[in-house]
Amino acid sequence: MKALFRRYPHEWILVGLLTGLLLAAWRLDPPFVSVGTQAELSTHIWEMALLTVPMTLIIITAGIDLSVGATMALCAVVLGMTFERGTPVAVASLLAILTGLACGFLNGVFVAKVRVHPLIVTLATMSAYRGIAEGLSLAKPVSGFPASFAFIGRGEWHGISVPGLIVALAMLAAWVVLNRSVLGRFLFAIGHNETASRFSGVPVDRIKLLLYSLAGTSAGLAAVMFVSRRNTAKADIATGMELDVVTAVVLGGASLFGGRGRIVGTLLGVLLIHETREYVSWRWQNDELILVVIGALLIVSVLVNTLLTRRQAVS
Amino acid sequence: MKRCGWLMVALVPFVLFGGCGPKPGTPDTGGKKKLTVCMLPKKKGVPYFTSCAQGAEEAAKELGNVELIYDGPTDGAAEKSASMIEKWTLQGVDVIAVSPNDPEVVSPAMRKAREKGIKVITWDADGATDAREFFVNQATAQEIGYGLVDTMAKDLGGAEPEGEVAIITATLTAANQNAWIKFMKERMAKYPKMKLVALQPSSEDQKLAFQVAQDLMKAHPNLKGIFGISSVAFPGAAEAVKQAGKSGKVLVTGLATPNDMKAYVKDGTVKSVILWNTPDLGYLTVRVAHDLATGALKPGATSIQVGRLGEKKIEGDNVLLGKLLVFTKENIDQYDF
Repeated sequence: MKALFRRYPHEWILVGLLTGLLLAAWRLDPPFVSVGTQAELSTHIWEMALLTVPMTLIIITAGIDLSVGATMALCAVVLGMTFERGTPVAVASLLAILTGLACGFLNGVFVAKVRVHPLIVTLATMSAYRGIAEGLSLAKPVSGFPASFAFIGRGEWHGISVPGLIVALAMLAAWVVLNRSVLGRFLFAIGHNETASRFSGVPVDRIKLLLYSLAGTSAGLAAVMFVSRRNTAKADIATGMELDVVTAVVLGGASLFGGRGRIVGTLLGVLLIHETREYVSWRWQNDELILVVIGALLIVSVLVNTLLTRRQAVS
Repeated sequence: MKRCGWLMVALVPFVLFGGCGPKPGTPDTGGKKKLTVCMLPKKKGVPYFTSCAQGAEEAAKELGNVELIYDGPTDGAAEKSASMIEKWTLQGVDVIAVSPNDPEVVSPAMRKAREKGIKVITWDADGATDAREFFVNQATAQEIGYGLVDTMAKDLGGAEPEGEVAIITATLTAANQNAWIKFMKERMAKYPKMKLVALQPSSEDQKLAFQVAQDLMKAHPNLKGIFGISSVAFPGAAEAVKQAGKSGKVLVTGLATPNDMKAYVKDGTVKSVILWNTPDLGYLTVRVAHDLATGALKPGATSIQVGRLGEKKIEGDNVLLGKLLVFTKENIDQYDF
């Protein structure tokens, strides 16, 4: 056990925080912890959870993608507009995901080939993609999707939530890549020292192109899930999503300087943010307070983490 | 070191426990005796809705048995509104009063709340009619459209008000604004010498409204009046006219809270501001919510007694607040919202 703790100090802190929160909630508001409530509330989190997967990989390589929320909006608009013009919803969804792929690929080209800092690239495309989405749709929402389409965003398969299953599969895949594959080692290598990786023959540019394309594709899929769940496609969805996603990943223990990050940590980060947000909202009914609490949570977690790693390094 | 780390993890839940003790005055949403009324604005933290909340608080205090929860998305995101309705449904509150920022997104959640036996009403803006029992309507589109044009006519003065006018709206797809514009055009037939020369969107952006107003004054040198028909288009247009030194020459009128427009009314850029009494709207909403929950108000009723507001008319399932307010130099200081 002690060895386990020493290897994963950050994860244990998150587990502790999460348990503490749920225990407190259970003592003060028992209905909040019930299975029914948790199942209903969990529907609020899937898109964000899905996007944390590629974001974890990108942050491990010392990159960042701030355009995921805007990409999601653009994909939703593409879905809505093609559907409105008579395209079957399955084809429209595919087009939306392809749009996401294209957006992500473009980011990747600028980051990997033109070698602009990802923060600058995705900050620019964040506003560009959002602008295109607003411009194309003229801020007009599209709804009236067939009931069967709700399967992706709200449906159940053998009693398991479909979007939950999608997220679980994505996380499993990312775990395998990070822990059991050469590509995973390459990601950490790039994050630790990009120049050295290049000289060691790591295909840095191709990997980056792949990662940003993956983030775009995930945003496309998240858009399909969102539109399906809320039965509406419009240009102002997922505003600020990128910050939620980055917050969850950083809370999960990934370092923005690269070279560090775990998918389990990210999962815990997502859960902690989700439960904190829902519980604060449940108990105090105050939307402003949530922002403050999430901010405080992030600072405390990073502080404790820094403190622990520093001490470990000394001892 | 090892022990120290374990200690920290072990301490965490207790720290949280300590911090989360029941606080006096937090809403007991599970309570049976008090009616829990949840009021959802389109966007929390903007002056218009905050002023509505003032009136809602007042009604809740007056009634005594109402626990008012006023909360909404600080960023105005419709999906967050829907999430909040879903949360309140799970908590089993008594009434949910919604100002939907996107009926398509919010209505499914409202219907689900109704299925669970929660009373749902809309206020400020309407949603799908089958998703709520009553709509607390501050003013009909006709009243607003006619009111705007009549006010402009009065401000321009003369037996036959004359001049070119322009409208700055929110977006070209905004449902509320489009309904008003329809009635504005209808009413302009009464003033043959008032000529509408432009209709421009400003997408709920005050800076953009400012620019649009500047461009309009350049493109139409004979412009005599501008309607700013959203709460940001109005101050944006007024500022543009003021900075161009045309205060009094180009009249601006529209819908906004009096506090936002006081400065412009006092320096003469704006002669009249039109709005309903927003605290009264909040007050009426909570009263309707209360009566609906107690059973005093039933579908089909034609009027309702609402405390200090007296009797209010109900048309179909619309509870009408009635009478627009016109704020001018003379009376604007009496209002603080």
